[in-house]
Amino acid sequence: MRGPGVIQVIALGLISAGIYALFALGVVLVYRGTKVLTFAGGEIGTAALYVTAFLVTDHGLSWGVGALIAVAVAAAAGALFEFALVRRSVDADPVVTSILTVALAATILAIELNHFGGSPKQLKPPVHGGVNVDGLIVSPVQIAAIVVAALLGFGLQAFLRRTDFGLAILAAADDPTATRLVGVRVSRVRMTLWAGSFALAAIAALLVEPTVGVISPGYASRLYLGGLAAAVIGGLDSLPGAVWGATVLGLVQAFVIRYLRVDVGGLDFDVTLVLLLVALLGRSLLPQLRRRLSPPREAVA
Amino acid sequence: MTAVTLPLNRTTRLRVPILPFALLAAALLPGLAARTVLLNEPHALLLGESCVFAIAGLSLNVLLGYAGQISLGQFAFVGVGAFTTGLVTGVHDLRLPWFAGLVAAAGAGALIAFLVGLPALRLRGLYLAVVTIAVAYAASESLFTVTRIGGGSAGKVIPPPYLGTRALSTAVDALAIGLVLLVLLLQMDVNLVRSRLGRAFQVLKSDESVAASFGVDVAKHKLIAFTLSGAIAGVAGCLDGITYGTVTGGTFDYTHSLALLVIVVLGGLGSRTGIVIAAFLTGIYPSLLIAVFGEGIRGWDQIINAGLLLVTVAFQPRGFAGAFREAAEHRRMRAGGESPLPPTRPNLPDLGRPAGMPVPRRTRPGTAVLEARDVSVRFGGLQAVDGAGLRVDRGTIVALMGPNGAGKTTMFNVISGALSADRGTVHFLGEDVSSRPPHQRAALGMGRTFQLIGLAKDQSVYENLLMAQHLAAPYGVLSALTTVGSRRWERELRTRADQTLDGLGFDRFRATAVGRLSHGQQRIVEIGCCLVTSPELVMLDEPSAGMSPAAAEDLAATLIDMRDKLDRTVLLIEHNVPLVLGTADELYVMDAGRVIANGEPMDVVQRPEVVRAYLGEVVA
Repeated sequence: MRGPGVIQVIALGLISAGIYALFALGVVLVYRGTKVLTFAGGEIGTAALYVTAFLVTDHGLSWGVGALIAVAVAAAAGALFEFALVRRSVDADPVVTSILTVALAATILAIELNHFGGSPKQLKPPVHGGVNVDGLIVSPVQIAAIVVAALLGFGLQAFLRRTDFGLAILAAADDPTATRLVGVRVSRVRMTLWAGSFALAAIAALLVEPTVGVISPGYASRLYLGGLAAAVIGGLDSLPGAVWGATVLGLVQAFVIRYLRVDVGGLDFDVTLVLLLVALLGRSLLPQLRRRLSPPREAVA
Repeated sequence: MTAVTLPLNRTTRLRVPILPFALLAAALLPGLAARTVLLNEPHALLLGESCVFAIAGLSLNVLLGYAGQISLGQFAFVGVGAFTTGLVTGVHDLRLPWFAGLVAAAGAGALIAFLVGLPALRLRGLYLAVVTIAVAYAASESLFTVTRIGGGSAGKVIPPPYLGTRALSTAVDALAIGLVLLVLLLQMDVNLVRSRLGRAFQVLKSDESVAASFGVDVAKHKLIAFTLSGAIAGVAGCLDGITYGTVTGGTFDYTHSLALLVIVVLGGLGSRTGIVIAAFLTGIYPSLLIAVFGEGIRGWDQIINAGLLLVTVAFQPRGFAGAFREAAEHRRMRAGGESPLPPTRPNLPDLGRPAGMPVPRRTRPGTAVLEARDVSVRFGGLQAVDGAGLRVDRGTIVALMGPNGAGKTTMFNVISGALSADRGTVHFLGEDVSSRPPHQRAALGMGRTFQLIGLAKDQSVYENLLMAQHLAAPYGVLSALTTVGSRRWERELRTRADQTLDGLGFDRFRATAVGRLSHGQQRIVEIGCCLVTSPELVMLDEPSAGMSPAAAEDLAATLIDMRDKLDRTVLLIEHNVPLVLGTADELYVMDAGRVIANGEPMDVVQRPEVVRAYLGEVVA
């Protein structure tokens, strides 16, 4: 078979997977802590790119400093979002808060469209060149994305399980009142979660962008969908699960695009949709299947 | 039995058939306005576009406002409707008349929603939101880019509908068609809300377990809501097609779905009027803004809308319509003044089994209505119920006691089907119901209440009594949307609800939202809802919790009425020892997941193992 070989397809799949995983970790982090699904990560990521472009392209800062400031701004935005809106919502229901994140995304998107809709912004990559993998030039930034995602996926898990603050996050999710009573400031825990989630979204967007170089409104949202899907495929409340979900999604996308020879655009979205539906079907049917396969009940005399 | 006087004067209202007049006005007004130069083509196009958004808003409202499920890709379904219309009516395609395109558009929207919803709606949670974003991208970036469907970069040409030989190709024509469709869909929406379907949506939005206890098949009804929503979105798409004449895939992307969310939430979830007004206002005001502030403000409307959405979701989740309603209620309460005493000693009406429900298998007195054997449930590391069993004989009151965490409510949930046990069987009226879902057990004649009140708290007492009769009016989706074939059932439902209201003494609270009643009053309404379908077995989870001693005494009398006057069988979880001793024929005591004692109540409470379970070891 001509064209890129299997190794290159795998490499492409893992590159996407790294980005999806970073977004997915931000989703899972907030979900584990508050049972809220956040839909704002994509726009937070895009906004972080605009901030970086403003600092680097327009004002000549180095890429590293610009990116660092952008991540800090994203984290601050997360904390502010929690402090100013989530905490003060009259309806503290997770579903309402989830819609609140949609509203935040819509607001940021509207501002992007209004200010930069006509003219795409340029942002130069921090480093040039890269490693040759089976004919594919993989940039160091892409490798960094994969490594950071894997480290965070398993490192954050250890952080949640092994540290006091991590346990406080888990406890606050299970029973906020009881957690408050043992002296944990639940509101501060939550603020940290939102800040962390938004920072992760910014990091994800910053690590994908150098290979594209041009930013347009809503740019990271399409990738964020991959993160949301990866989180759901991974079970939504598991950090390592999110990494595995992202890996499956990235690889299946790469293989389908490479080997399914149809002349249709946006195949990656079709794959995302189908994988999501398969994962949900599996989750709803597995318990039934397990019950059916388990040994029959003992006959009662 | 005493004759029940029906409060007819309240329910009969002078009914003027507004629908035909509204349709006529919708069809003729745009044309008349255009002739008298009140309406030019660009304005008609703007209003036509608002019509599309209003109908799409109604589609999202069915799903989000009524059934409480989120779609963030609603405009993908609008797109499906638009391109289906193109494929069915297009000159290079099937060339069928426009009406066929409309039907096909609704059908295609419904079909895709059904296929997507089937896996996504079986689980609780926000999965549908994620899936519908994926649908939004897959549709606008993939499906609609297929040249055969989307017409390529030039877009798909949608031919205008014909009236005889006249092509309805102007924006004014499209507006007239749009208004007619809008009026029809509004009427359908009214029918829906007043039907068993709309009530099932409301109660499952409020609490899925409560819905199941009323006999609502939750997964099925969520799927119906989404399918219906897809069909209405398809209609919006068809209208979009003839309004513009040419459609391109980009107009149905995620951004537009977000704009739709703004309209629905700002207008007020669940308020069709609010949503239609919001659709037209958000369509019109950007032009007004530009007229007043000049070109510099162009594009700011989206920021204003999104910002408003942010503030609304945080501080007024019910939108403008909700704010309006709250203000009205405040005024009424201030005008009211009088606060009537809460009735706590209801006179339970003996209603008999509703005509629409299967008659439960009768059992002889003294035989078991319910028998649970060897039930075990494990939650992670906690063995909540461990080989427990109980038997409830016909015509008795059986009480289940035990310290907190003994597994009583878990046992209840296994019996009602809300929870499936790891081990053990449940027999009800002689039938093994162990693998039946809760709504089927409700249909067999199992009624239950919940520790924290199983009612839709934002709905009125009367609505709750109607919701509870979900199973008693077995008409289908089409009857619900058109009221054809549903009136007879609805009349019976309302009669039963009226009789129950009368019996409970809750007549003056009929329109009061349940959440505004006191806890004790809510409990009585809940018991009324449980009895309104005359279940064979009535299961009450801590009915006296939060009641005053006097009210608890009234409750005891009510329980005895259930057994002696209504011939019901009762199983209750209770902590109130005098209440149990005063009413129960048999008592089971659970501790740490096991049944540690059962028998004659007076005897059981004195047994040392029971005393120990409640008070701990006696220290010498």
